[in-house]
Amino acid sequence: MTDTTLTPGPRAAARADQASPAGPRRLARLLRPQVAGALRLLPWGLFAAVLLLPVAGFLLVAVSPRLFGQGDAWFTWAPFQQVLSGWTAHALLDSLAVGLGAALLATVVALALAWLTERTTLAGQGVWRVLLWALLLAPSYLESLGWTWLVEPQGVLARLLGQDPVGLRSVVLGPAGVIWVLASRGVPFAYLAVTALLRGLGREFEDAARTHGGGRLATARVVLPMLAPALWAAFAIVFAESISDYGVAATLASQGNFPLLTGAMEQSISTFPADFPLASAMGWLLLALVGLALLAQRRSLRGRSYQVLSGRTRPARRARLGALRQTAALVGVGGFFLAAAGVPAFGAAAASLLPSGGKVTTASLSLANFRHVLRSGELISALGYSARLAAITACAAVILGAVAGRALARQGGGRAGRLLDLLLLAAIALPSVLLASGYIFTYNLPFASELGIDLYGTTTLLVLGYLAGALPSAARLLSGPLGQVSDSLLWAARIHGRRPVSAWAGAVLPLVAGSLVWTWLIAFCGTLLELPVSQLLAPPGQEPLSVAITRQLQGYDLGAGAAMTVVVVAGSLVLIGLVLGAVRLFLPAARRLEALA
Amino acid sequence: MTATTTPATSAPATTAPGTTDALVVERLSKSFGATRVLDEVSFSVEPGRFLVLLGPSGSGKTTLLRCLAGIERADGGGIRLGERTLAEGRTHLPPDRRELAMVFQDYALWPHMTAAENVAYALRRRRPTKEQSAAQVAACLDRVGLGAHAERYPHQLSGGQQQRVALARALVARPGLLLFDEPLSNLDADLRERLRVEIAALTRESGATVVYITHDQAEAFALADTVGVLEQGRLVQLAGPEEVYQRPASPFVARFTGLAGELTGRATGAPHVGRVMCATPAGSLVATAMGAHDDDAAVQVLIRPAAVTLAEEPGDPADGRTAPLASQSLTGTVADTAYRGRGYDHVVELADGSRLTGVFDRRACPRGARVRVTLDPDGCFAYPASSARPTGAGQDAAPLSDRTPVEVP
Repeated sequence: MTDTTLTPGPRAAARADQASPAGPRRLARLLRPQVAGALRLLPWGLFAAVLLLPVAGFLLVAVSPRLFGQGDAWFTWAPFQQVLSGWTAHALLDSLAVGLGAALLATVVALALAWLTERTTLAGQGVWRVLLWALLLAPSYLESLGWTWLVEPQGVLARLLGQDPVGLRSVVLGPAGVIWVLASRGVPFAYLAVTALLRGLGREFEDAARTHGGGRLATARVVLPMLAPALWAAFAIVFAESISDYGVAATLASQGNFPLLTGAMEQSISTFPADFPLASAMGWLLLALVGLALLAQRRSLRGRSYQVLSGRTRPARRARLGALRQTAALVGVGGFFLAAAGVPAFGAAAASLLPSGGKVTTASLSLANFRHVLRSGELISALGYSARLAAITACAAVILGAVAGRALARQGGGRAGRLLDLLLLAAIALPSVLLASGYIFTYNLPFASELGIDLYGTTTLLVLGYLAGALPSAARLLSGPLGQVSDSLLWAARIHGRRPVSAWAGAVLPLVAGSLVWTWLIAFCGTLLELPVSQLLAPPGQEPLSVAITRQLQGYDLGAGAAMTVVVVAGSLVLIGLVLGAVRLFLPAARRLEALA
Repeated sequence: MTATTTPATSAPATTAPGTTDALVVERLSKSFGATRVLDEVSFSVEPGRFLVLLGPSGSGKTTLLRCLAGIERADGGGIRLGERTLAEGRTHLPPDRRELAMVFQDYALWPHMTAAENVAYALRRRRPTKEQSAAQVAACLDRVGLGAHAERYPHQLSGGQQQRVALARALVARPGLLLFDEPLSNLDADLRERLRVEIAALTRESGATVVYITHDQAEAFALADTVGVLEQGRLVQLAGPEEVYQRPASPFVARFTGLAGELTGRATGAPHVGRVMCATPAGSLVATAMGAHDDDAAVQVLIRPAAVTLAEEPGDPADGRTAPLASQSLTGTVADTAYRGRGYDHVVELADGSRLTGVFDRRACPRGARVRVTLDPDGCFAYPASSARPTGAGQDAAPLSDRTPVEVP
């Protein structure tokens, strides 16, 4: 028989012996997890200090200018009074109206789009998804520029039609145009929020409504409130994104004499002498509006449970669209993408191909602008500079984002996890204009150089700014896939004889490689064409791509600016295609798992 | 079965495939924050023996297994496998150097590898040639009945097939110690039974020492050479399955391994030859005395389902043969009858309103029928009432009384 012994006697005695000296050790044991937890949080604390503290300093200057040598008062409300009167008040109201309009429009469009792509047999599903990704990746000012090139005096339409489209211009370069561009930019965000729920919302709820005698309308009335959390989330996201958007404020709105808050902020910083307290007060208001949107979303859901996803939920059956409805749906969806992406793309392409003067004929289309841009060296140096910085930022964002995302996924419920979550949320909600303003302000303070932090006006600061923008979303993007990889997969590899690094590379990396590559691409493309941080933080003598492009536009060298844009966008698309192709070729597992998901 | 201790001549760093070692765990402790999850657990398993650790959720069995695997680092105590120390004091051998294998509750198959690749990955620690690897993997998959599914990915396999791949992966490198983390809990009843049989056959065939954890007492009794019952981080009984069933060390163990019901009462007279007479509101009965009993002391009587048999019509004059047992029968009413194929399971409500569940009889007694139940003293355990209370957290008590009874023939 097995010699298994259980000896309670001596064991109990041994424990009693140990009791007294174990006192301090027990205390240490109790404390250890907390100390370890704090140590684990330390890097993130440091990170937050470097990335977010400058913003806190910048926000303080509104109420206490003297603290930073920006005025006489130790404590004052004057900057707020100043903002709430005159043209800045106008800008605030404009921003609010534009945000609400864009959020409403985007939510409605996204709901329709999500319903059509998820619940009906709409043709061309893949195409629509790719187009949504394109909209998500393209910076807002590109769409603005496309429209601007079309409608401005001596623009594409004027030259093609032979007469100035004054009516259309006043619509595009005004509230309607701004709302449309922001809404179409917001649709992908809203779409992602809505489809996640719509896909999980099994057909049984509709079936239940129908079997209990509800007609089509009554069924919609039952199901729509169940989508409420997604719709509120979509609305809040688009509202927050819209009011903190800078690209449209700097292009469409500024040309249409339609001031927006973010544009006003940038102006008060970039004019000489810079009025930091005023910009800071605007930053407060911007933050308050973003906070309000998120709060409203939470309030609207309080006390209600919308847990509709369960193991039993069956995938919804798609409604078959007849020929007539199919056509109508295709026209609707096609029309949206045409207006959101097609028209601006046409504007850019036409502007880049048209000669700088003279009559327009098919024969007069030429690649002269491209030749000019490629030869001048201006684009090449700007592109090289931005590409280098974007690559550095994307690599750092993926590595740090993976670590943060994993921490986020693992400690989800714990205090450390919640704190990290909050930090990332704050960093995402922080408009980039505010972020960049904070950097300019804080790193230009005398004490920064006294501390030996000479970041002001350096490329390092620009990269830090980019990273502060790219890291939070990278961490969020990666926390999902990293959280889905069960710990036991890694432990199984360790237990079956693999060292830590080789276990991770063999058992985990292939599963997350696709997400890592996607995150890298999103961070890279986002940074390559990023405008607000580039505009504010670019070191003297260096010109990031987005700044070069907008400068071409302001200098009315339409053709060159448009040609630059076309080259960069096409280049980015080629890069995305190449990288994804390489992933599919070299990591077939990643593709298979993607298809599975 | 050959149970040979590894001689001291074997190299301490690595073990040759196929050799089995004794596992010795000494005073293993582990806390998470202020919660003591393992409280000085000690046991040893001889080479090639099958130990099942049985306990409810939160009893520390998963933590114990993770400490054995090297996933968790114990706070104190030691683990030795043959001549090698896996953990002791500051020594903590990482999982990859422990020369063991494990079957996970969630299977933990790598989704990007086929069944064959999953198994081959675990074999690579033996550094086989390509041909050797292919041959051994194929043989191992054949052995678990998946020879035809070698090129399938985990998501293309059913739950049972996935767990078979995990089993093959654990067996292929012929580790000295095999760990099982509730491997059958995600499978349905029929499949669970079939896989249980395969696990029993394959592990014994491999000769490996096995530690298997589960919360299912039927599974534990069916598989184990030795059963260890864990309660709140302490090992409260370690014995052969028969002994655990016939002489549960505590009311907790008795409840956790399946009861028909419980009665409270008083001891009448001192124990005699291991038996004690108990007076309960439902009637008097003789039970096996567990611990010391004073006359008129409060007792808790825990009754195994197998100890209960339905007697003929109540009120019938008992014949001479059953007369000595007359005091051993209680009267009651059938509250429920469930057909189980081989016979019927009854729920009998006794005179005091307490219920006995899982009372088996080949013939059905209709609901509402008056019956007499006879109790076998061997399956009735009388514990002093002070120790009869479930120790510690009361939340364990409720589910335990609902546990499926185990039939021991």
